[in-house]
Amino acid sequence: MKEAKEVLYGLYDDETVLLDAVRQANADHLDIEEVYSPFPVHGLDPLLGLSESRLHIAGFVYGALGTLTAFLFMTWVFTRDWPIIFGGKPYFSAPAFIPITFELTVLFASIGMVVSFYTVCGLGPGVTNPTLDDRITDDKFCIAFETNGYSNEEISKLQSFFSKTGASEVSSKVI
Amino acid sequence: MNQFTFEGREKSVLIGGMILGLVCLVLSFFIDGSPHASEIHSRFWTNFLHNAVFFTGIAFVSLFAICAAISAYAGWYAVIKRIWEAYSLFLIVGLVMMTVIVIGVWGHFHHLYHWAGEGVTTVGSETYDAVIAGKSGFLNPTFYTVATIGFLSVFYFLFAVPIRRMSISEDKAGTADYAIHRKIKVYAAAFLPIAAFSSCALIWLWMMSIEPHWYSTMYAWYTTASWFVSALALTLLTIIYLKSRGFLVDVTDEHIHDLGKLLFAFSVFWTYLWFSQFMLIWYANVGEETTYFKTRRDEYPVLFFGNLIMNFGLPFLILMRNDTKRKFGTVGFAAALVLFGHWWDFFYMIKPGVIKELSHAEGAHGALPSVAGFDYPHLLELGIFIGFLSLFFYFVFNQLTKATLRPAGDPYYAESIHHHS
Repeated sequence: MKEAKEVLYGLYDDETVLLDAVRQANADHLDIEEVYSPFPVHGLDPLLGLSESRLHIAGFVYGALGTLTAFLFMTWVFTRDWPIIFGGKPYFSAPAFIPITFELTVLFASIGMVVSFYTVCGLGPGVTNPTLDDRITDDKFCIAFETNGYSNEEISKLQSFFSKTGASEVSSKVI
Repeated sequence: MNQFTFEGREKSVLIGGMILGLVCLVLSFFIDGSPHASEIHSRFWTNFLHNAVFFTGIAFVSLFAICAAISAYAGWYAVIKRIWEAYSLFLIVGLVMMTVIVIGVWGHFHHLYHWAGEGVTTVGSETYDAVIAGKSGFLNPTFYTVATIGFLSVFYFLFAVPIRRMSISEDKAGTADYAIHRKIKVYAAAFLPIAAFSSCALIWLWMMSIEPHWYSTMYAWYTTASWFVSALALTLLTIIYLKSRGFLVDVTDEHIHDLGKLLFAFSVFWTYLWFSQFMLIWYANVGEETTYFKTRRDEYPVLFFGNLIMNFGLPFLILMRNDTKRKFGTVGFAAALVLFGHWWDFFYMIKPGVIKELSHAEGAHGALPSVAGFDYPHLLELGIFIGFLSLFFYFVFNQLTKATLRPAGDPYYAESIHHHS
């Protein structure tokens, strides 16, 4: 059981306002817990200081695995396990293996990356994730601060940050 | 700095390159071990055709890229559109160079095209060839001339020049209703279908007809993909050079990244066509057509595998990562490699075919003779490449001085500056 988290969050209507707010938060040295947006916002990652995703490295490994699986499996089937002559071609017909090798490369890379992504993010069937506000999956942009153990003074500082940067709504929630 | 200046030092370097190229071209006229070299000078003519087609194609494909971007309402390219416009104007030089080849066809100065030989389509003649006679409705000197000069003139005079002129006038006389841009859009939309159909015919005539018995439905695609990758690579190199001189301040890593992505994507697209061209023939059991590939793989392995490594293997691995497409060093290296690689690809398409036709015309069969300057690019060929490249850049830099590098009147200019990839 995870510890309950008190969150103070503000909703913004537009991604440019959101980006300006994040810049302001950085300037004020506020510790942003998380930013939620319905779609990827250009330029947000560097502002939040997020490091580059390593998902693509995993993708490359899955892809290479797919290439090897397809090519070696077909080679084994058509030269050792069940050799058949197709259209007068030799048993080991590398050109005929290429399209399937390509397909399996893409298949392994895509499925592997989806599974990795879901695992890393704790998503997937049967998992419930509380949202701060359902509209952040639609048209609202959200900046959230974790406020466990914050004094009233600090909370009012965050409140004034939200009103200063043009948040359309501010609320708090325990998740 | 928005006004490009063509400095004396650049001029002398490029003129030096052109002189080197000319000297090599003249030397290749005399140093030639191919059959009947003293009469038809195949090494000289193949080198000339090879480079002329390569650079004319880059000019053509740049115009095509401008028109495609305009028709697609693309905005990102506006900061670099002057470069593509300057490239597209090189079509006039291409027209002159290809006219030289046309004159050679009529005067029988060269034997690049076996179908243009005497008596090939005359029944009862010693050199009569039934297959070529069957194709002579398309493969004949008259159509070759009309298509080469006619199509290139249409590209240049009806599209490249007016689009460039309107694009410049947009800077000076641009209005809020973008009337000029709307007019450019009409030209761009008209050019796309015209270019798509006519360029196929040009590619068949200029290159595929070198081996008139062989044909491939993928050939025009394949060649156009090669041109497009070369044009992208040249664009990247030009941008890097211009930025090093302090121009194009609005071109950011984001634009470089997008061009890098296109370079990566179209290198893979080229590979797809490279493979599919063989795959379709091989899988359908069209045995007599596989000779094109068998000859090249068995007798020109350096060309065959070098082509694949330079144009697929290395750019695929180098440009796969995100940040290698953004850094000038890596993307510039990949662009230079791929540019040379696709020049190599045109060498691979033209040279073995000419040797094959010349040997077969004498009744020889089996392994082809290994001839210097046809087996792989020798020093003379590399010198000629440098010469044509210098000519291209001399022309392009000259065009760049004629307009501001910052097309502020373009309706998409603001969008292009703020481009995020």
